[in-house]
Amino acid sequence: MSNLILGVGEFGASKTPGDIVKTFALGSCVAVILMCPKTRTVGMVHVALPESKINPEKVKTRPGYFADTGIPALLKKMSTMGCDPNGRGFIVKLAGGAKIMDPNNTFNIGKRNALSIKKVLWKYGLGSVAEDLGATYSRTVSVAVSTGEITLSSPGRGDWKL
Amino acid sequence: MTQRASKEEIIAAIKEVPLLSPSASQLLQLTAKADHELAEVIDIVKCDAALTAQVLKIVNSVAFGLVHEVTTIDRAVGYLGERVIAGIALEDSTGALFHKELHGYDGPKSELWNHDLRTAIASREIATYAKQPLNKDVAFTAGILHAVGKAVLSDFLTNSAQEVLSGIDADEVIDYLAGERELLGIDHTEAGYELAKNWELPEPLIAAIRYHHTPAAAPDEYKSLVYAVHLGCIVAMMCGSQASDSLQYHLDQNYAKYFDLSSEQLAMVMLEVNEAFDTLRNAMTDAEETN
Repeated sequence: MSNLILGVGEFGASKTPGDIVKTFALGSCVAVILMCPKTRTVGMVHVALPESKINPEKVKTRPGYFADTGIPALLKKMSTMGCDPNGRGFIVKLAGGAKIMDPNNTFNIGKRNALSIKKVLWKYGLGSVAEDLGATYSRTVSVAVSTGEITLSSPGRGDWKL
Repeated sequence: MTQRASKEEIIAAIKEVPLLSPSASQLLQLTAKADHELAEVIDIVKCDAALTAQVLKIVNSVAFGLVHEVTTIDRAVGYLGERVIAGIALEDSTGALFHKELHGYDGPKSELWNHDLRTAIASREIATYAKQPLNKDVAFTAGILHAVGKAVLSDFLTNSAQEVLSGIDADEVIDYLAGERELLGIDHTEAGYELAKNWELPEPLIAAIRYHHTPAAAPDEYKSLVYAVHLGCIVAMMCGSQASDSLQYHLDQNYAKYFDLSSEQLAMVMLEVNEAFDTLRNAMTDAEETN
């Protein structure tokens, strides 16, 4: 049993019962959680920005940074663990994408992240069955691989299930 | 909300905070001036053996991945840049303050330093989009120091986070600053201002600390700098923060008077914040571990 901690722009997956897949302090970033019921694999990518076109070089070192490259990278990783390469039959959940108070269009990156992620998921015929997006608080996300249970927490707001 | 302490108690606590080291103080004074030479920065570092050792450890840490070891302080300062040198001196001088657990904001150890470092990088990057020339090094240093008041208030705010957040959610207070004032009669910008005066920081840094959440109230000559730090603080919170006050402040839309910043440019700023933060934090952590 171990914790798979994902930083900004990182992705990973585990099928080891007892493992926890975790990412800390999502602000405007979004955690895309993919669960493959057939192999009981849990994957997560910590998406920071909507589109990779702003820095194609970064894609080479950290594809998970962007929605349009992070989700394909996670699917590829999960396919090496016996999951369907297009995510067929996957359960998708999303968390994060917080906004600041009084955001204007420029600063509402959380919303643009969520929209971009959904657009990419649609290309694979996937949609989220549960999401905790937006609002004005940061979120830490933990997923228990054994049960697929997702726990969110935020300083001063306790924790809750997704 | 019930008041937990008086402003007078907070001011008394601020007077107990240790002064900056002479090197940190001199570096902050020097780098805030428009007309100074890198050689002057090097001279200050050279006169402080502990700071010299720390700077060399950091520049040679694996995080920077230099092929050849840097053995002279001249080269180290040239490579890291004066803003990073000022940051190292500050952390060396006031590490306990910046790295303590932020009980009052439900934040873990080093959360304040992590937020301040992200804000510094973001402020520096945002300064490059200023409509009028703005000193990026001063923006970086102002970012490092901007939230220092929280280190003082935290001790008086233990177990208050839920109460403040409930007050904001119920529209009883407009933001976290107002919550701090309800509980203590003073907010972290004013506490930081009092501390900055005790430390005899340069005026631009004092202004950034005092007005980073209310930039419109800053003196005109420092408004551009203060707006840079205002935006830098917000970007840092968007990049992730483990404190209860994260994202609980308002964006002043008048920043557009001082900066041309598109959504794509903001995304570039966030990218740089995350990258530079990882490099700097890893370098400083490597250096600490070898101490």
